[in-house]
Amino acid sequence: MNGNLEQGSLNQLGIDRRPIVTCAGELEVFSAIEENLAHSLPKDACEWKRSLGRPIRNVHIGANFIPFSAVSLPKSGQWDLIRQPLFHTYWTECSDVDVYKSTIREDIENWIKELNSRETSDWLIVVVENYDGKKSKQLIPRTTVLDKIRNDFALKQGDRCISVINPGKVENKTAESWRGLVGRIRHLLLVAYAKAVTRLEDHVRQQRERRNEPGWHFMNYFMLQEELAQVLEMLGLNDEALVQYDELDALFSQFVANFTTCDNLKWLCQFQRPLERWHGLKLTPSLLEDNPSLLELRAYIFSKQAQMLLLTKKVWEMASRCIPFLHTCVREISILEITAPPGAIWCWLFLAIMEVLQICDKFNQADQVEEYSLHTASLWEYASQKIRKLGELCGLMPQGVPTSEQLHIVVSLSAGMGDNPGPINHPSPTDRLKEALCSQDVFIKTYLELAELAMGTFKHVGRLRMARLVGQEVASFYLLLGETQKAAAFLGDAVRTFENDGWHELAGQTQLSLADCHKRANDTRKYIKACAAVSAALEIDTLIRWTYFDEMTKYLEKLDKPLDVPLNNILKINSIHILNDLIMMQDCNMEVELLVESNFPKEILCTYVGISLDKEEKKKPNFRYCSGKLLTKKDLKWQDPFLQRLKIKKTLDYKQDKQLATSGIACKFTQLQRKDSAPAYSKTDFNTALEVEKLPLLLTPGINVIRLIRKATDVGKYCIESVAIHIKKLRFVSQQLNARLTIEVKEESPSIRLYKRAAPLLSGIEQIMNLILTIGSYQIEPKSQIKLTASPGLTFQIEPDQPMTNYLEIDVGDKATFSSTKMPLRVLADLLTKDHQVTIHVPWNPKPIVVSLSFSSPMSTTWRLFTVNNRKLVQVNVVGHCLDSLIVQDPQLKIKDIPVSAIHCDSSLIISNGLSYSFLWQLGHTNISSNSTKAEFNVQYKLSEDDIYKTYQYYFDITDFKTLYIMDAVVEPSKGNEFCRVGVVCHLHLTMTNVMPPGGEDDANEELRSVMYEVLAEQSVWAVCGRTAGVVGFASASDTEGSVQQVVMDVMPLTSGFLPLPLVRLSKYIPAESISGNKADTHPRLEPFHSGQVYNKSKGKQVHVIAATTDGIPT
Amino acid sequence: MAVCAAIVGKDNSPKFFCCINPDEELTFQYKVLSSLDIIEEKLNPASKSASEMRELYLGQLYSLETCKIYGYVTNTKIKFIIVVDSTNMALRDNEIRSMFRKIHSEYADMVSNPFYIPGEPITSKSFDSSIKNIITGTV
Repeated sequence: MNGNLEQGSLNQLGIDRRPIVTCAGELEVFSAIEENLAHSLPKDACEWKRSLGRPIRNVHIGANFIPFSAVSLPKSGQWDLIRQPLFHTYWTECSDVDVYKSTIREDIENWIKELNSRETSDWLIVVVENYDGKKSKQLIPRTTVLDKIRNDFALKQGDRCISVINPGKVENKTAESWRGLVGRIRHLLLVAYAKAVTRLEDHVRQQRERRNEPGWHFMNYFMLQEELAQVLEMLGLNDEALVQYDELDALFSQFVANFTTCDNLKWLCQFQRPLERWHGLKLTPSLLEDNPSLLELRAYIFSKQAQMLLLTKKVWEMASRCIPFLHTCVREISILEITAPPGAIWCWLFLAIMEVLQICDKFNQADQVEEYSLHTASLWEYASQKIRKLGELCGLMPQGVPTSEQLHIVVSLSAGMGDNPGPINHPSPTDRLKEALCSQDVFIKTYLELAELAMGTFKHVGRLRMARLVGQEVASFYLLLGETQKAAAFLGDAVRTFENDGWHELAGQTQLSLADCHKRANDTRKYIKACAAVSAALEIDTLIRWTYFDEMTKYLEKLDKPLDVPLNNILKINSIHILNDLIMMQDCNMEVELLVESNFPKEILCTYVGISLDKEEKKKPNFRYCSGKLLTKKDLKWQDPFLQRLKIKKTLDYKQDKQLATSGIACKFTQLQRKDSAPAYSKTDFNTALEVEKLPLLLTPGINVIRLIRKATDVGKYCIESVAIHIKKLRFVSQQLNARLTIEVKEESPSIRLYKRAAPLLSGIEQIMNLILTIGSYQIEPKSQIKLTASPGLTFQIEPDQPMTNYLEIDVGDKATFSSTKMPLRVLADLLTKDHQVTIHVPWNPKPIVVSLSFSSPMSTTWRLFTVNNRKLVQVNVVGHCLDSLIVQDPQLKIKDIPVSAIHCDSSLIISNGLSYSFLWQLGHTNISSNSTKAEFNVQYKLSEDDIYKTYQYYFDITDFKTLYIMDAVVEPSKGNEFCRVGVVCHLHLTMTNVMPPGGEDDANEELRSVMYEVLAEQSVWAVCGRTAGVVGFASASDTEGSVQQVVMDVMPLTSGFLPLPLVRLSKYIPAESISGNKADTHPRLEPFHSGQVYNKSKGKQVHVIAATTDGIPT
Repeated sequence: MAVCAAIVGKDNSPKFFCCINPDEELTFQYKVLSSLDIIEEKLNPASKSASEMRELYLGQLYSLETCKIYGYVTNTKIKFIIVVDSTNMALRDNEIRSMFRKIHSEYADMVSNPFYIPGEPITSKSFDSSIKNIITGTV
């Protein structure tokens, strides 16, 4: 397809680079199919194999047919074969072998001879068969005319002869044979053509090598190489054609660059003549003028390159080559010192750009636009610059009126542009430029349109900075137009972009323009802002800054409403330092030290300085919190999240069996916050701000230390939010500080506590506890009440002379903050009660406070029963638990049915803490029917002399107190011995007497009748020989015979001295399967007697044992 | 050789600027600033292959009628920019490359100076003179 297109464009110019093919033989046969053949040849691609390792390309080849003539054949050694007949055909229709033999053979022989004489081997003989189907088939092969011809002329080159069925007749077979013919011709033609192209390439190379020889002329060489380019173009190899033009381009550039230094470039002088025409590029196919000017030559080369690029669908590359090409042209004009009328080159540049842009405009598919916009943006910009220069030259700028001289320039510029009218409604670049140069309005409109397009395209491709620079240009134009608002918008954008990038000098310079812009617009408020910015721009000359500072102060007087200005770089916050603790008490002073760097060139008088606080309920996720008390410049600097170090952590995933499945690193990228182009300042509330106490405050240029204070009235967490500095109605407000420092204001709530004193609490005695009320950081309403409720059995009172109660209300009273009051609380718990609680309701907390109190008795009591034969004694032991001594009197013991007599009972005594005291009573008799009785001990006590006596009572039961057995033991020496001796067996006489009152309850009890005795001798003192235990039975007490049982046992003292007798223990012996046991006991068992039931007479008895006689020391 | 050299930080703010002709400094600042757009484009990882990522020299960023602007970016995204007069056709690409390499090594020395705070504008006079020597080709 490309090939067809291309041929079209070459055809438009009348250039035909198709190979020339001659026809000989029966021409009328050929002419019948010539048209069809010429049409079919370029239709399909054919592989072109080339030498020198160049890649195989598919090409489309056409042909130009001429009748054969021996004269026109090329001579040997000719280089321009491309323009000579290079392929030769012979056509015959003869089907009769005899006719062939008689005439045609000779004709072909002559033809071949002619070709061979020119060393041409590129030929083809075609036999056209009029195959009508009726014809009898040739029975013998190799007897057709074709066979004959092949035999005669092409024995070794069978492909040089071909037969074709006359394509005039439509039949299947016809089409097939036709395709064969076309294919064969295409192939052979290409072989021939390739030879010619190689010859041409060699020639081009040779010519180029001679470029430094005198007399070499670029234009001649140019024609030669262009021919090669056209050949490639004809074959559809547009990219290779482009290479040829690029080579020419580079070669020419090299010549021009060397012009001043090389002597043998005289031929370049022809380009040095003054410029007369500036027609633009003419990107449509056109022919190079004879004797072209530099611009015409350049334009022609670029136009050819552009065409090749468009054919290979590379619109963007054409656009991208445009700017460097134009720059080259401008430079070459200056190198060659080509004179041109003023503005002529600008016109040419403008036309060139617009032509390229117009072409781009035709390719408006989204992806194409995307591709070339990157390059067209700067083309729009370049065009707008050029037309502006032209406008300045021709007096077309706003507020200007062209002089007659300038009008003359316009006329001559328009004349040099030539005529290139575009279609209706689509004015050509030439039309537009001419129109713009003729009318100021059109010029202004055109300029603004181009500039807007430039900006728009720059923004679209993301080149914001470039767009801003165009914007600055446009702003200056709008200023000339008097449209200050539009100008200010562009300048403002530019300032912001420059500030964002930190290019302060540029920002400052632009602020200067912005200030003038606002001044012209009479916008006082914005003018003041701009003046402030300019006067604080360190990069600007000091004198200028002073001027603007004075302007600012002058205009400040005229302000009627407050004017908010961002702090930016005018007043820089260097650091913010919290002086108090980060956690502070309510009603203390918050103090902050602010370091401000004033960039104003002179001192300023501040009417207000404040740091606002932001009450913070919970942490805000998008802010950076700083620990500590200091915010430095580094903390305050806005940090581009894209430039921060990523917080990467490792991640390890384990499989179920705890094996490592994957490992990796992960980074949470949450900081995707936008840097606000216009942060909101109005939100900040300065009502609760930290403020300077002494106003007005003088800020000197450079660093100022300011101390700000505020009383912390409300509890909560506060963040330092922003800084405000006011100069009368000019209010400098910082944006929210991006690093947050937090101060926490706390309150301490009041508390109430109930303390006991060091001693344990005793029931039954009135004691003092301490109720301590502590007021916290805020006051409590004096009339509010603290309510105390006691559990049952507990009473208290706070007033000394009021009765005890178990509900109390106490007024808080007028107490200072952080004061503490101790109130003595009298407490009395009922005797014999232990655990109590006091519930305190406080006015500041709805939840009651519960205090548990544990009381113990003032004294504790134990008792014991003692037995002497049948007499019984009760001892009561009292231990004092009161820290102070207890005064005790009148101890009494009452036992039911039994009279007691006091043996050792002081009527009054003092019991100190921890000491015990015993009282002893003897029971009058034990003759009561039951085995147990109830006893009550009571005593009067008081804590101090002034108190009245209270009664302490102690109840206990006395059980099994009657004596059942009396046991006695005696150790006697064996017969014949006067003394017991160590190692000599003695007798232990054990006497057990049943003293149960006959007929009593115990007497009836069979279980008490059997008694087991056990001798529990100290093993180091006594050795019992034989049985150590035994069971004895007693008859009823009434039977006096059986009431005493005696047992004698042999014991041996093991040591000498006054030894205590071996201990004997009596136990109840309950035989197996006793009647009383309901359970069938299979074993006998022992049960101990109660302490009062057995009286052991021998307890405390001792016996003298003297040393053994073998010692030889008689005692 | 070159007429202007600039060092631009990773935040795109100028760290150093030197001009052979001080009168032109402001116009060159505008040009250098706008070239940052193209540097950003070239640094966009989507448009580059791995081997290109390793190449610090960015080549010609863009050209104007009067000058050509070349760029070079360190691995820490410090940008070096050189402006060359476009009438100076003798200057070859390799020479520009070597200029950048020299500037890079000067810069590395500068940053190693304990008295220099990284990220701050460079005010050292000796640095200024060595950069001037590099761009005028006297070194």
